[in-house]
Amino acid sequence: MSKSRPQENKLSTAASSFASILPQEISGWQKSREDPVFGRENIFDYMDGAGEIYLAYDFRFIFVREFAQENAPSIVVEIYQMSSSEDAFGVFTQDTDGGDVELGQGAIYAAGLLRFWKDRIFVRILADKETPEAKSAVMKLGEMIAAAVHQEGKRPGLISALPSEGLRVKSLRYFHTLVSLNSHYFLAGENILNLSPETEAVLAQYERGKSRARLLLVAYPSSNKAEAANKQFAEIYLKEKPAPEGKLHPIELEDSKFSSVTRKGRFLLIVLEADTFPLCERLALEISHRLED
Amino acid sequence: MRKTSKPKKIVTRRDFLKGAALGTLGMAFYGKDRHIFAKMAGGAGPFAAENPQSTLVLIRNEKAIGAGDAIDPAVVQEMIDAALKEFSGEQDTAKAWAKFIRPDDTVGVKFTRCDWMRVHTEQPVIDAVVKRVGEAGVPKDRIIAQDGGLPFAKCTALINVPTVKVHTLTGIAVSMKNYINFASQPSKYHAPSTNLGEIFVLPDVKGKTRLIIVDMLRPYFGPGPQINPLHRWNYYGIMVGTDPVAIDSTCLRLCQAKRNLFKGEDWPITPPPDFISYADKNLNLGTSDPAKIKLIKLGWDKDVLI
Repeated sequence: MSKSRPQENKLSTAASSFASILPQEISGWQKSREDPVFGRENIFDYMDGAGEIYLAYDFRFIFVREFAQENAPSIVVEIYQMSSSEDAFGVFTQDTDGGDVELGQGAIYAAGLLRFWKDRIFVRILADKETPEAKSAVMKLGEMIAAAVHQEGKRPGLISALPSEGLRVKSLRYFHTLVSLNSHYFLAGENILNLSPETEAVLAQYERGKSRARLLLVAYPSSNKAEAANKQFAEIYLKEKPAPEGKLHPIELEDSKFSSVTRKGRFLLIVLEADTFPLCERLALEISHRLED
Repeated sequence: MRKTSKPKKIVTRRDFLKGAALGTLGMAFYGKDRHIFAKMAGGAGPFAAENPQSTLVLIRNEKAIGAGDAIDPAVVQEMIDAALKEFSGEQDTAKAWAKFIRPDDTVGVKFTRCDWMRVHTEQPVIDAVVKRVGEAGVPKDRIIAQDGGLPFAKCTALINVPTVKVHTLTGIAVSMKNYINFASQPSKYHAPSTNLGEIFVLPDVKGKTRLIIVDMLRPYFGPGPQINPLHRWNYYGIMVGTDPVAIDSTCLRLCQAKRNLFKGEDWPITPPPDFISYADKNLNLGTSDPAKIKLIKLGWDKDVLI
């Protein structure tokens, strides 16, 4: 108890700024209960079974405000405070299905659910059911929050290594750990890439002409760590000896698609499920050129 | 003489491509033989199994959900009764329930209540089950309908009443995932969730599950971890069975089919829910192979997908 109290106080102080951004009433909806705040220690009290996804990022706390109105769907506002804008962007990329909206530094709306990120916050506003009135209130709340965050944050630098030709923008995911990778793309039952909070990873799909491929780019803290992962991926996944020069040429796998791995300095670049050998090779080459040495 | 331990085999995506992991399910979701399900979906009969080992009844009724996604309790009751009669082979509802529940039972009705994600067992489904258990002669004070905190140890019978949702950490959450809070440390069964079926064989749980009645009215097929309303659809279904492995396997097929339809391309459920084949092969808890599951379909068949 004595341990958790200072933590709770810190969260309450930090969350009070969000409380002041939001109104007590909006378009007939009233704040319906006290605003709960959950930190890393008690996020499971709020979302038992899914907290791991947020803990996989540098998540600090979540502030929740609920609005209710008689004969209208409830509206829940969740503001996630992350330690970095890169991680706010990363959480935003967890699910990108919906229509793009001009808000914050990236926003998506679908059927009563608005998600956006700006600087170090990620916001979800959900109307229990979509009605024109509820949609309008959701958007107004989003605009209030976005306006109250005065500065913009950096997107992950790793993304700039991705060539734009053929990139399916909505497929882009940014994360750090195995839990996140597995929630997007299952590679192996063990952490063969040694992903950790120290690593940065980008997963994306490409479509060029009629050919498709997936790309997994990982930045490690050091070239030694990247090489260790390179070796494991080559041996365990591709079942090949790692190439001494760091580049393993495309290999055709059981699904008749191609995969390759390239290490460049502290980066590991993996092409997966490429429909053709040339696409696999071309993507690896282009990204390799764009990475710092 | 020193013994050398065999290095642990790491399952990779390639094992699924080869069909070496998850058995038939692996081939279906990641391998070239995905078409086997396409054949089943468009097939002539309600089931294609030559030697069925596990039977499930799926009933659908387009009147179960009305405007504003309101659930019609009377229709739900009819669906559950009809499915149970079919499953038990009885013509009479009371006789059908009597095959599974005795008046001297203490019955735990384990439903899913997930307020933050909002994909929980609909109240009319819970009410319909509780009503029939009462009519089977079990006094009210021995019917315990609950999610968290259900005193399963003191129950002599359990009715598992889950919903259907794709889950970020376990792949899919249906009947096996619904028992996760019977475990002393539920997080142990998250990522990886291979051993999830173990909960069914815990001393206070083993052998108590008399029925599984799945709320398939409004399943969820999205990636999560939180709900995106775009990924929820009205399927208007209830499924009845006793085999948790067959039920989870079948619901997995349904969600996978819906995901592919939604994206217009393969959108594999991930992480792969390997607990389904593990529960079959290692725990003998039921049948995961779709070819050995007899799926009896009743009612509305539009967009049935499986």
